[in-house]
Amino acid sequence: MSEKTKRLLVIDDEDIVLLSCRRALSPQGYEVKAVNSGEQALSLLEKEEFDVVMTDLKMPDMDGIELLRRIKAQWPEIEVIIITGYQTVETASDARKLGAFDYIEKPFTPAQIIAVTERASRRRMKHSGTRNTKKQ
Amino acid sequence: MAKFSINPIVKKQIQKILYSLTGKLLLTIGIIMLAGSALFWVFLIRYQETELIRNSVKYGQSFVSFVEKSTRYGMLTFQQPSIQHTVEALGSSEGVVRLRIYDSKGKIAYSSKKEEQGTVLTKDDPVCKNCHGQVAKQADLPTWSIKKDIEGYRHLNILHPIYNESSCYTSACHVHRKDEKILGFIESDISLSLFDKAIQKQESAITAYFIIFIVILSGVLWTVLWRLVSKPLRVLNDGMQRAASGDLDFKLKIETRDEIGELAKAFNAMTVDLSKAKKQIIEWGNILEKKVAENTQEIRTAQAKLIHSEKLASLGRMAAGVAHEINSPLTGIITFGHLLQEKFSEGTQERDDIDVIIEQANRCSIIIKGLLGFARSASMDKTLVNLNDVVNSVLNMIRHKADFLNIKIYLHFSEPVLPVNVDSSQLHQVFLNIIINAADAMEGKGTLTINSRKVKEDDALYAEIEFADTGHGITAENMQKIFEPFFTTKPVGKGTGLGLAVSHGIIQEHGGKITVKTDPGKGTSFFIRLPLYREKS
Repeated sequence: MSEKTKRLLVIDDEDIVLLSCRRALSPQGYEVKAVNSGEQALSLLEKEEFDVVMTDLKMPDMDGIELLRRIKAQWPEIEVIIITGYQTVETASDARKLGAFDYIEKPFTPAQIIAVTERASRRRMKHSGTRNTKKQ
Repeated sequence: MAKFSINPIVKKQIQKILYSLTGKLLLTIGIIMLAGSALFWVFLIRYQETELIRNSVKYGQSFVSFVEKSTRYGMLTFQQPSIQHTVEALGSSEGVVRLRIYDSKGKIAYSSKKEEQGTVLTKDDPVCKNCHGQVAKQADLPTWSIKKDIEGYRHLNILHPIYNESSCYTSACHVHRKDEKILGFIESDISLSLFDKAIQKQESAITAYFIIFIVILSGVLWTVLWRLVSKPLRVLNDGMQRAASGDLDFKLKIETRDEIGELAKAFNAMTVDLSKAKKQIIEWGNILEKKVAENTQEIRTAQAKLIHSEKLASLGRMAAGVAHEINSPLTGIITFGHLLQEKFSEGTQERDDIDVIIEQANRCSIIIKGLLGFARSASMDKTLVNLNDVVNSVLNMIRHKADFLNIKIYLHFSEPVLPVNVDSSQLHQVFLNIIINAADAMEGKGTLTINSRKVKEDDALYAEIEFADTGHGITAENMQKIFEPFFTTKPVGKGTGLGLAVSHGIIQEHGGKITVKTDPGKGTSFFIRLPLYREKS
């Protein structure tokens, strides 16, 4: 694991999903923040830095695809993982074309969510140099 | 005063005859005949009468001339008794009513009726009036007239002047002078009663002849018209009434070559045509009725199908909603189950209990995947594939699984390539569902025959694949429900009852058809038809 604390933002309208993610990933050294909507996520992203964002696809106000677009437009270095039900797997695979890192199907096991998050954060680390260069 | 009235039945009968064609023709011909006969008759009688009078006058004048010649010698020799005797003798001839000889002063000198001798007639006497009543220009001419007697018979009256001659005024008696022009008259009344009687007889005979002639002619005409016109017309009328009442097989038996025969022929042709048309209308009616019944049946079937698919669709929507809602809590159960699992070492009661929780939560997850598959979104990833290849790939996957070890699988592809434009992963799922069902029905032992072929239906080409197993078959009761979601005959925990429902939906979305034939106790065949891909030329 990297020495730096990896910051993770999870967005889902269901609290139980947020809670599951936090409980599975916190012991792995992730700093997990969780919000219920895309709007909340965007305002939080303005204030704080995150390495990985994990978002549900179906949400009442702003859906996962729209949020993905906005994040990728403003913070292209952030890796985005899509959480989906079986029904929306096709949409999730389309999301990859829009820049999403990968997708994970509900219901997932802790091992599955840890694995995908690990992969995403590793790639984030690889590209962090680019981000720093950009900032300078 | 009693009124004369005709019996209404008789009156009606007369009217019927008069208004009939025969009656009208007969009446017309009768009137023409009567008028013609009357004219002919009048002309004939007139002519005969004129001839008769002409001849009678001629005869009368000859008679009077004869009287003059017979008495001439007596006159010249002045032998009065002899003259009177001659006049009486001649006056008694048949047809002579009266014979007189007057002197120039109007005195009857001699007469067939002796008692008249010596009587002097005035100028007002009808005899004298013949000449003296008018302008006396004809006084010196022989004249005649016709009068009727008391019995109504005609008399011809001849008045013949006796002219003065040299032998008259030079005779020894010296009665007449030389300057006298007319010495007297011979007058004779001749009866025409015989002729009148003959004419009357003739008139009666001619009238009788005409009446008989008209009666016979009417009878003949009546018979001819009856046979040629009235009878055929009556037959024609009867035929028309029968045709009007619907008896179109009736034929008129009139075989004459006249206009009525032609009419009958035309009528027979018309009834044949009408009969044909009627039959055709009935036939059309039957066809229409059949079509309506067929259409009604089709509509009913379509309606039933629509209701069925609506039912499936709403079930699908409900299932999807439920499944989606359950996914999140299930995520929590599984995540926290796993987290808790790590806290207990294997073999402990707590660990075993948690394992059961996780296992059952996983089962829930599988059921939900099935539900969501049934109500999956419409998006499909269609590619052009060989249907036989899809079957092969499914078989490769299952062939070595334990459930299929004792099942013989026969493959027969009648076409090497059956191109179809499909989402092969969805089709894969369908074939897998059916093959797993077949294995379950055969309880792991039997024969599965898979045939693929090209078929034609309603001018469209299809790729058909048949999966025939030797399992226990499906009961008639269950056949109705096999495509309904959550219907399963498998033991609890083994089947979700969604496999065939999902398969049905997938095939329908591909524009295909899935049908089943079953023989309970012997086996079941599933037929899947998909539109055959054809390159657009």
